[in-house]
Amino acid sequence: MSAPGITEPTEAIARARAGDGDAWGELYREYAPAMFRFCRRALPTREDAEDATMEIFMKLRDKLVQYDETRSFSAWLYKVAANHCWDLLRRRKIRQDKETEDVETVPLEHPDPNQLDRMIEQSTSDEVRKALGKLGARARMALVMRYYSDMSYDEIADALGVRRAFVGVVLLRARHELRQALGEPGAMAAGGAL
Amino acid sequence: MSDMANDPRDVQHLDEMILLLYIERQLDRVKAAEVSAHAQECNECRTLLRAMERESRLLTRAMLEEDEVLPARLMQFQQRARRSLQWIWGVLFGLSATGVYALYTGYVEPYEQQLQQAGFGSTSLLNLLIFQGVFWKGWQSVITLVEVVAMLTVGGFSLAFFRKRLRRGSTALALVLTGFCAVGALMTPATASAQDVRKSDSVEIRSDETVKGDVFVFAHRARIDGKVEGDVYLFCQDASVGGHVTGDVIAFSQILRVGGTVDGNIRSATNSLSLSGSVTRNVLTFNELANFDSSGKIGGSLTAFAHNLNIDGGIGRNALLFAEQTTLSGNVDGEINAKGDNLRINGSAKVGGPIKFEGRNAPDVASDAKLASPPVFTRMEHKPDYMEGSYFVWQVIWLAAYVLFGLVLFQLMPAFSKEAVDNVEQYGASFGLGVLVFFGVPIAALIACVTVVGLFVGLATLFTWYAGLYYAQTIVGALVGQWLLGRTRETWPLIGRMVVGIIIVRLTTMIPHAGGWIKLGVTLWGAGAISLAIYRRFQPPMAGLAPAMSPLPPTATVGGAVPA
Repeated sequence: MSAPGITEPTEAIARARAGDGDAWGELYREYAPAMFRFCRRALPTREDAEDATMEIFMKLRDKLVQYDETRSFSAWLYKVAANHCWDLLRRRKIRQDKETEDVETVPLEHPDPNQLDRMIEQSTSDEVRKALGKLGARARMALVMRYYSDMSYDEIADALGVRRAFVGVVLLRARHELRQALGEPGAMAAGGAL
Repeated sequence: MSDMANDPRDVQHLDEMILLLYIERQLDRVKAAEVSAHAQECNECRTLLRAMERESRLLTRAMLEEDEVLPARLMQFQQRARRSLQWIWGVLFGLSATGVYALYTGYVEPYEQQLQQAGFGSTSLLNLLIFQGVFWKGWQSVITLVEVVAMLTVGGFSLAFFRKRLRRGSTALALVLTGFCAVGALMTPATASAQDVRKSDSVEIRSDETVKGDVFVFAHRARIDGKVEGDVYLFCQDASVGGHVTGDVIAFSQILRVGGTVDGNIRSATNSLSLSGSVTRNVLTFNELANFDSSGKIGGSLTAFAHNLNIDGGIGRNALLFAEQTTLSGNVDGEINAKGDNLRINGSAKVGGPIKFEGRNAPDVASDAKLASPPVFTRMEHKPDYMEGSYFVWQVIWLAAYVLFGLVLFQLMPAFSKEAVDNVEQYGASFGLGVLVFFGVPIAALIACVTVVGLFVGLATLFTWYAGLYYAQTIVGALVGQWLLGRTRETWPLIGRMVVGIIIVRLTTMIPHAGGWIKLGVTLWGAGAISLAIYRRFQPPMAGLAPAMSPLPPTATVGGAVPA
């Protein structure tokens, strides 16, 4: 899950682990924009994303000793960020059990391939972002983890607290919600907004 | 194929779930080959597959696009983190202010009075300029200003702490602390009704006055000639208790004279204590000079730490005395345990129990003194500690205690301990902060104790500070252990290194002459590292300039091979 072609600042990471404040500055400059964008996609408001970004970086300092240097730093960073954002969302009375029940019981309609193709063709990035904002918390979180930070199914399952075999269902369900939001501007997705 | 959709239009089409797992490379090779083969032949499934892949790419693109600039708040985050370091200057100023206050009351003011008594009060130009109000309205107002500034510093720091806690969402902690403050605020008026707080340059409770409840006196001079039906707390320079106190007298005063009746205890920390009245229960006192007049009477026991101690009055029970010079002329009904340089027992003395004295010189006992038994004298010898066998036994016991203490704390707070050990290597910062904490915290805590509300906080801080000094040595020990055995991030290996290191540290502290300084240095060093770790726990970890806008290219590489 490491970023292809990106050289991770291993020296800065090592120095930051030793408590070097300047090294933390380097890491922040390197990763803060991406972390903010991650939070912006995952959380409902800009203020939430700003708060979460700062909280994640504060949390990182405590957790840096747990980082395994043999693995990708950015992947680990996204994992911490995903866990933090999902914790935030869950604390806001997200009824996870109910959502799980919904996903498991409500059948998904098989899409018309040509209609879907046209919708994708006509949709802009901006429209997709707006539609993302209308999704339920878990649907949005799952899409962000998968398509923004390229987290594996195992990592998504771990972050969301669901079985790995269930991750595909969550993602497909999220895509359906997204399509519905894209097709009906202004409509709320089936999973419900926050 | 078993995963065909049960679609009335074409039961042979692939299920959308299968297609998603296929493009996300979640299918095993056999199943993926089946999907690929089907998609090659089925136009509808191929179209859906490609649409879903485009959907994946659209999602990734939409999420990755930089549609918003990094908020200024986040750009300033590092700068604010750096600026937030400035709070330490506030604390430094507060501590300096309290230190100046302590220095003034402890050293400057007594010498000033002595100079005045010696006739130099108005002739010294410095005294004239500074203390006589040529430029200053009055030194007392300066002291008040210092007190206010010190309290404002502490208050401002507390507010900042609460604000950050709330912002960070640690609502539980914030609520607990806020609730604590709220309870304190609510309780204050209730208790204030049973308390009488008097603050003035001169406070007097006249002989015809009766105060029901406790009295707190903050004054330059205080006279308690009336009756107090409760405890009396004195924070004064010159205090006199000539009336009747039904409770205890607790005094922090340069001079304390008790000529009246105290039904409870006296607990005092004074420069000079004079007791000519009656105390029904016990007296515990820390003084430079303590004088118990012949008319003075203590119903219970006396525990005294003093430079010069004169006992002319009567003590109903035992006396435990630590004084360089002790003179006994009165009566002690119980036993006497004394330690110091000299003990003189005059002829008028009468002691009902055994006398044990450990000192430099044998006690000087008048022949006509009425003693139950001759004093048992133990000469205090100042040979080096390590010449005694018990010294090494105690060193081993202390070593075991340190190891146990470190073990418990490293287990209870593994992450914090590792941070503290890491911080030890920042030699300058750790040592500098250690000096500040070592001297500043007890001063601040004692100042806090002076205020009624701050008593608990002050005592808790003192206790924590004292425990922290021992913890500091284990932290430095862990670093020494790491130097010898290599670095580790695991808890138990770190504890092992701590044990090795603490043995070495303790051995170095046993070196004659230098050992004490080594111990002080290690304590300062470790205390600074712990303080640094605490500080960083409450601070954003970044430093440096504002972040550049170069983003981390996210890592989305979603999508499988497009079937032919």
